[in-house]
Order: sequence, then C-alpha cells, then structure tokens
Amino acid sequence: MHLPIFTHRQPADFAGVVSALTEGSGAKVLAGGTDLLVNMKHRIEMPETLVSLKKVADIRGISLEGDATVIGAATTLKEIRQNSELERKFPALVQAAMSVGSYRHQAMGTLGGNLCQNTRCRFFNQSWQWRQVRSLCYKVGGEDCHVIGRKHTCFSTYSGDVAPALLVLDASLRITGPDGPREAPLSTLYSGEGRTPVTLGRGEFVTAVVIPGAAARGKSRYEKFSLRGSIDFPIVGAAVWRGDGSVRAAYTGVDRAPVRASELEAELAGQELTDASLKRGANLAHKAAKIAPTSVHPVSFKRELMGVLFVKAMRDIS
Amino acid sequence: MGKKTVLELMINGDTFEIACAPNMTLLEALRDKALLTGTKRGCDTGGCGACTVIMDGEAVLACLTLAVEAEGCDIRTIEGLALDGKLSPLQEAFVEHGAIQCGFCSPGFIMSATALLAEVPSPGREEIRRHLAGNLCRCTGYVKIIGAVESVAVKDRGGEK
Repeated sequence: MHLPIFTHRQPADFAGVVSALTEGSGAKVLAGGTDLLVNMKHRIEMPETLVSLKKVADIRGISLEGDATVIGAATTLKEIRQNSELERKFPALVQAAMSVGSYRHQAMGTLGGNLCQNTRCRFFNQSWQWRQVRSLCYKVGGEDCHVIGRKHTCFSTYSGDVAPALLVLDASLRITGPDGPREAPLSTLYSGEGRTPVTLGRGEFVTAVVIPGAAARGKSRYEKFSLRGSIDFPIVGAAVWRGDGSVRAAYTGVDRAPVRASELEAELAGQELTDASLKRGANLAHKAAKIAPTSVHPVSFKRELMGVLFVKAMRDIS
Repeated sequence: MGKKTVLELMINGDTFEIACAPNMTLLEALRDKALLTGTKRGCDTGGCGACTVIMDGEAVLACLTLAVEAEGCDIRTIEGLALDGKLSPLQEAFVEHGAIQCGFCSPGFIMSATALLAEVPSPGREEIRRHLAGNLCRCTGYVKIIGAVESVAVKDRGGEK
C-alpha cells in the first residue's frame, strides 16, 4: 500500500510549524505516524502537507515547573513508560502508555499524537477496496453514518488509551497557533463529533501536556479491556483517580470523545468506598457515554464493562 | 519538499543514495531502492512487525516510517547482523532452536529481539514476551522463538537457568 502524494515539511521551531500548517489547506502534523500513516494508506485521511515534529526544538522531554509536571507533546510513549518519577506520581498515565500497541508503537508514538489520534469505526478502518462494497460513510466523504443510519453525522469511537488517564489527572494542554500560545483543559481538545474529533484550529498544534501537582496527591489506575492482550485498541478503557475524598473516572472506547463519568463522580463524592457504594457508582458509569455499535462488540457489553473496569481499577488502588 | 529528492540513508554502516518522493516509506526504500529485501512487507500497516528494523538503537516499524525522516539516522536491517559471514548469536539461536519455519517473520523477530538485548542484556521470559508482542508468526507458534531469545539472554547471564 503506497502512501498518497503529499508535501513534507520539517521545521525547526514552533513558529515554523505554525507557518507550515497555515500555508495552503489540508496540512497535518506528523509525529510518530503510527495512526496517521495507517489512515493515509487506507485513504481515510489525505492531507496535502505533512509537517514533521522530528526536528522541532523544545517539544520533547519531561520536566517540572513548580509542582506541575510538563511533558512535551513529542515525548514518546516509551519515554513515559520508562520514567520512574511518572510511574510513582501518575501510575495511570504510565499504565495507559504501556498498553498502547506494541513496544514498536510505543517507541515511535508520541504523547501528543496519541491524544490527537483519529476516531475509529468498523465502517472505515478498512482498506479503500473493502470500503467500496457499500456507499462511503460520512467520515470518509459520503453522506450516511452506517452505524446509526443517519445522514451527516459520525459516531466513530475515540479509542486512545492515554486521554482518560490524563482526564482523571486534570491535565491541561499547551497549544500554539497563529494567535500565539494558549493553555486549555484537555477535555476541550475533543469536539464530541466523530468526523472532526479534535477541536484544534487552523495552524494550531499541541506542544505540551501539563499535569498539576495536586494530581500526585491521589492514587490512579488505568484498566483496559481488549480482544488481544497486546497490540490492540481498547474495547473499553477506564482510568480512575482517588484523593481528597473524591473519585474521578474517565473512559475511552465508548463515545466519540474520551469522557469523564460525572454522574458516577457525584454519587461517590465524600462517600466511604465500600462494595455497595462502588457498585452504585459502577451502575452510573454508562450514563457518561452514548455508546454506538462501531465495533463487533455489543453496546450492552461495553456498558457493563464500564462498570466492571471501574470497580476493578478502584479495588486495585484501595 | 514535495517532489523527488536524493536522500542519503545510512544502512548497516553503508551510505545509500536514494531518489525518493516524500510518500516513500523506509520499507519501500530498503526493499525497492537499496534492494535489501530481508526486511519483509507483511500487513504494511504496523500490525505484524515483519518490517521491524533498528533505527538509532530503537526497534521501529519501517512501513510506518517515512524514508525522508530516516535521513541522518543509523539504520540496521537483518542484512547487517552477520559479521564476516558469521551469523549473530541471536541468529544462531534461532537456527539451533528451530525457531524458523517459513521464515517470513524471522527478520522482524530477530531485529526486535536484537534491540531488546542491546537495551536489556538479560531480560526475563515475561519481558521477552512483552517485547515481542507485535511480531506475528503464523507457523511455529512462539515457544521456540521466545526460547531462542531466552537462550541468548541466559548465556549473557553466565549460563545460569
């Protein structure tokens, strides 16, 4: 499978990236390439220009700013996996990074790339030839969402592992664009719409992830259920955090964006964590997501998994 | 850069001048331009590990690496492991353990395991299993492959079992 034709740019700094992204239309950032290049081979995405982060300065590495931890967007998942300080403070983040693909994917894939990865669905994560057997879905240029049978909408599922872990850690993003740098909560990165799942504006790209120091004062855990033990996307992934009398939970694989389970969190706020209260919380987990049948797994199965993984993760950190 | 350019790729210590467009992958450059066909094209989408090569000490998937991004890197392929016609200890171990059947996946496995042993000279069985997850074999199963890697790791620990 050949890649489609594109122009390749390799800027050296943030300004160069913004400039390359805003020239012409249809430019995309190339980080590790483990998601984007597969989609390009399948003709799901065909950007005119790829802007490589490989030679960009100050976008890779893990540092402390006060009590906040700052991780450059081009830091690889392997670097996160191997960082003992991250493992001590934010185990859910390291567990999520470790669960991504194979070791090769972790050596190539980056934190920013994992967060900004495209949504997935059985109707378009296939070869171009395979997709020809029916009309194209809305995500790849057609009109209908085959998942729910409606026009002009897309219910493809966000399946990144790292996002839920960072959501329960209350992480924020540093984003640079034509209007300069800005900082925004991670949750605002996601549109909740499958066709264009990421909200970054034209010329914008993620430069770093900031995890507040307060996140290190709680315990966290990421639990993933997938068909295979490795090199697989989550059927459902759940991250939990517990500290200061509160519980946080976030999920991947269940909706068009990673989601925080707010009903569950409200139910357990200030509560003693017993089998009964965990079960009450688990029963509310599915309310956070509109699960669509984008994979071979039934919606009811995923809904139940959300509760099961929550309880499992909470027991692991109790 | 949108049109063809000439890249200088450092492969197994030799410099190859390769004319390529930006959409050429490292796998295509290795197989179709440098004619180093030991690196295999399997799924071509990063799921099987057959195209694994070592780039700057790191095992990577050549099918998901752009050739232009590999310029300036030290690229090692299966052809670069044998020295003066003598197989590397890991290659020998694959032969001794019968860890090869059709052989299509072997270069990927051997490159993955070579990178692992360079980083962790004496990995445990579980570490070997986790590291090789992502390399698929459809013939032998994985027992002999893991055994072959383990035998080299054990030798490094002074022969202890």
